[in-house]
Amino acid sequence: MKSGTMRIWWAQIKAVIRLEMRKTFFAKRGLWIYVLAALPVFLFMAYAVATAGQQRQSASLARRGQKPLSYQDLQAVKAGMTREDVIAILGKPPVTFHWAENRPLGPGVTANVLHEEYQYSDGQNDLSLGLADGKVEHIDIREGGNLGQGSILFAGVFQFFFLRLAVFFGCLGIFMNLFRGEILDRSLHFYFLAPIRREVLMAGKFLAGLLATCTIFVTSEVLQTIVFLWPLPAGVRDIYLYHNHGLEHSAAYVGVTVLACVGYGAFFLVAGMLFRNPILPAAAILIWEFINPFLPGLLKQFSIIYYLKSLCPVDIPTPPGTPPVFALLISNSDPVSAPVAVLGIVMVALIALYASSVQVRRMEINYTTE
Amino acid sequence: MSPLANDRIVFEDVSKFYGEILGVNRVNLSIPPGITSLVGPNGSGKTTLMNLMTGLVKPTRGRVEVLGLKTDDPENLFKVLGYSTQFDAFPKGLTGFQFLYSYLMLSGRDSQSAEQLAWRAIERVNLVDAAKRNVAAYSKGMRQRIRLAQALAHDPKVLVLDEPLNGLDPLARSEMIALFRATAEQGCSVIISSHILHEVDVISDQVILLSNGYVVAEGQIQNVRSEIQEHPTQILIRCSRPRELAVKMLEDEHTIEVAIHKDERGLLLKTRDADGFYLALNKLAVNGIDVESIAPADDDVLSVYEYLIGNEEAAR
Repeated sequence: MKSGTMRIWWAQIKAVIRLEMRKTFFAKRGLWIYVLAALPVFLFMAYAVATAGQQRQSASLARRGQKPLSYQDLQAVKAGMTREDVIAILGKPPVTFHWAENRPLGPGVTANVLHEEYQYSDGQNDLSLGLADGKVEHIDIREGGNLGQGSILFAGVFQFFFLRLAVFFGCLGIFMNLFRGEILDRSLHFYFLAPIRREVLMAGKFLAGLLATCTIFVTSEVLQTIVFLWPLPAGVRDIYLYHNHGLEHSAAYVGVTVLACVGYGAFFLVAGMLFRNPILPAAAILIWEFINPFLPGLLKQFSIIYYLKSLCPVDIPTPPGTPPVFALLISNSDPVSAPVAVLGIVMVALIALYASSVQVRRMEINYTTE
Repeated sequence: MSPLANDRIVFEDVSKFYGEILGVNRVNLSIPPGITSLVGPNGSGKTTLMNLMTGLVKPTRGRVEVLGLKTDDPENLFKVLGYSTQFDAFPKGLTGFQFLYSYLMLSGRDSQSAEQLAWRAIERVNLVDAAKRNVAAYSKGMRQRIRLAQALAHDPKVLVLDEPLNGLDPLARSEMIALFRATAEQGCSVIISSHILHEVDVISDQVILLSNGYVVAEGQIQNVRSEIQEHPTQILIRCSRPRELAVKMLEDEHTIEVAIHKDERGLLLKTRDADGFYLALNKLAVNGIDVESIAPADDDVLSVYEYLIGNEEAAR
């Protein structure tokens, strides 16, 4: 192919992108996409506020303690220890509760049991001890700044809300409208009257949609990460980011978001050309993605979520007692390697884009039948 | 297709159906350069024919070529063709200038050339003052003109204009007609659809008459008229003593009917053999009767259309 032709095509693609970006970013009917992208940010903001409140409470508890404690001190308490043993290790508890119980020992026989609850903190982690008749019966350590649990929470929100709902419906709203929206507005002929190959027009529109969705959802993803890490102490944050794969995970989430936009975008671009009503294909694709874990191996490959799940950096553990059907939805029982996953999404997207290029050549301007 | 097709718009046995609804059927045309008008009532197939020659719709059967180019190749077709549609919708949020500039940028031009061509087109349709205003705020006539500017902006060899004079005031209409003429004189094909027949008469070099999706006649309007044998030709003779002339004319074998004109300053004659009539008129020694002019009275598009399609259709 001549370089001059390629240069003209690229200039045409840039012209299409400029026109589409104006429409995509500033359309009133697209406001809900911004709301969808902002929801997880607000969720993590609420989480950050709650965590910060908890940290203030822990710090206050630690200050009120008889002596400064370490996490090892909190872990040193074992079940069966006496009240005196506990006080010897941790000092007098800054917060105590107590109550009495008439515990039945046999028919008509009861014993009066004194219950006590001691609360300690090292400033980050809280220890709650339940004592019965002066002996430790119950130990509960609530770990503040536990990035293990936090990152699972983050992964859960990412996989089950952000990826499957926010990015999915955001791509639906943007990519489906690239052609369908202009058919409804009766303005698609503007493009069809220009000396531009229909495939080049399609490529321009796809790239414009991709740029818009990536800008919106990658920004959301980055903000989620910032807000999620914001309440953590600087030291913990640095350890997580630089020594505990935090940066890699963040980059992986951004990458998965971009690939989700590529995959779902290509799907919805072709769906917008083939269907007048976006509800039907959207529902079909949503159901297809939802039932993906139950599909045979070959069919699984014709899905976006199958590859995206394999690329997510944090696996979500299945809680004990989860019914097998739900366990299958949560866990990724049949993951593929990262290169295969990336290639899989690109292949699925290319198939969808090929279908779009065939369809765009067949398209006619016939607004009255729409 | 013949080599002649390289300067023509050619339809070969073209039919277009929208589902079960007929758009046009079995159309065979070879449209030469010059101004050609598509004439017909609403629903006769004018816009379908235009959409077919611009590739916006595809023929169900047959094929269409414009200057030897296939209509399913927009990349090359729209380098030589400009189409002003009847679709009254524009990309949102654009000014008149931005509308043209974006259109020209879509063809892969550089920014400077697109800007120059956009301003030139805006000047040609007299829209300079409104160029920086949003198209959404334009009047119907201004929207019509900016669509014309879009069609003209890249100096196409074929200009397809669907009802281009709709919404224009009389001054703008005459300006646009002059513009179409100038464009045609440069060797371009200008295809105009209209249902305002007296305008078509003024503009066109040739006409294509359509009815219910069929081409019922095509060619220069006088030639089309002369082929309609079942309707006698009407001739208007302006003279000083019409009643005396009427008596003499009735004696001629070519004359079918004679009527005195309403203003009493001429005659309306009907004849089935116009050529024979003119020869006979020359032979008549009309002493003392001063004949000012002799002219056909029904070789305009409206008359031809009424003869071919009927009064009701022509009035639609």
